[in-house]
Amino acid sequence: MDDPLLELNKAGSEQPEARNSSDGARQRFVLGETGFNEVPRKYRKFYRKWQGEGDSLALNEVLCPVCLVVIRSSRELRVGDRVYCMPCMSRLIVTREDGILLAKVVY
Amino acid sequence: MSETVEPHELSQEDFLAEVHSFQFWLEAVDGYLGGTSFGCDPDLPEQTFAGEELEFLITTLCNYCIGERAALEASSGMIRFAPDPEAAIFLATQVVDEGRHLEVFVHRLKMLGVSDPWTEIDQRANHSLLKFKDRLLEFVDQRDWEASLLVQNVILEAMEFSAFQAHAASADPITAAVLTGVVKDERRHMGFGENDLGRKLLHAPHTRSRLNQIARELNTLALSTFSEIAESLGLQGETDVSANYLATMDRLGFPHG
Repeated sequence: MDDPLLELNKAGSEQPEARNSSDGARQRFVLGETGFNEVPRKYRKFYRKWQGEGDSLALNEVLCPVCLVVIRSSRELRVGDRVYCMPCMSRLIVTREDGILLAKVVY
Repeated sequence: MSETVEPHELSQEDFLAEVHSFQFWLEAVDGYLGGTSFGCDPDLPEQTFAGEELEFLITTLCNYCIGERAALEASSGMIRFAPDPEAAIFLATQVVDEGRHLEVFVHRLKMLGVSDPWTEIDQRANHSLLKFKDRLLEFVDQRDWEASLLVQNVILEAMEFSAFQAHAASADPITAAVLTGVVKDERRHMGFGENDLGRKLLHAPHTRSRLNQIARELNTLALSTFSEIAESLGLQGETDVSANYLATMDRLGFPHG
């Protein structure tokens, strides 16, 4: 089985849907459907399946360490941001380790 | 047609109320179970199995049924002593999931030619798993929320999640589809267990050593079962059924080794 956390060390970040904000602050992202179907329709754009080797996280994405689903936001994520993983009901805080953005569960 | 809602902007209270609700469950499972019959596309082709391969698959499915029956009986019993109404409602959705899992695995056994699945399940039962089930139900009978949650939603669900995911990757198309749907349900059960237990431990750190003792006793039983399953399916070497569980225990602050 692919280990997403190991893959992250190899993969770069891409943000194909990114739009630069006019004030140079956080980038905003227009989220599209990803085919993820494990949450109600209105939330589906905010999650996607981790594709394993060759996959990479964009600036608005972090991996849930509990269930290994990719969590997406409509804005660039930064250290200290709070995100929720609805598929496994976890509250997470964005952290940085070895230069990579990770999500840490907060109970 | 439905509006998009940024989930990350919800308050924690609103988030938990949303994800623990029956409405959330209904709309979630509709996404991946809508249009299926017994957990898979009814038009999927059946594979031809060699003799030994079929035997291993039947034994594996029988033991999956024991795990699901344990979770069905335990989660339904836990509703009576759930700490709050939202946890009780969530457990009601878990009961439905576990009942469905048991049904789809039994149905798969019938498709594979097992005429009396319930007798077959008894005959092929792994003794460690039966002992695990008995201990889990003892905690439920004692109305011990933390122990029940640890044993069912952390140990059992985390190991099932790894085993089912690995099995789905190499299984025949029908078994793979059934397992993939079950894994999607397991995400909720596993996450509920870790998060609820994590919150409880913050407020009752003294329970940690007792729970650690329980984990050491019970994880050995579950691990031996799922390792045997992985070996019989030829998954060993590729799958560490304990990795997900150990990562969960690590996040919860339990020592292991």
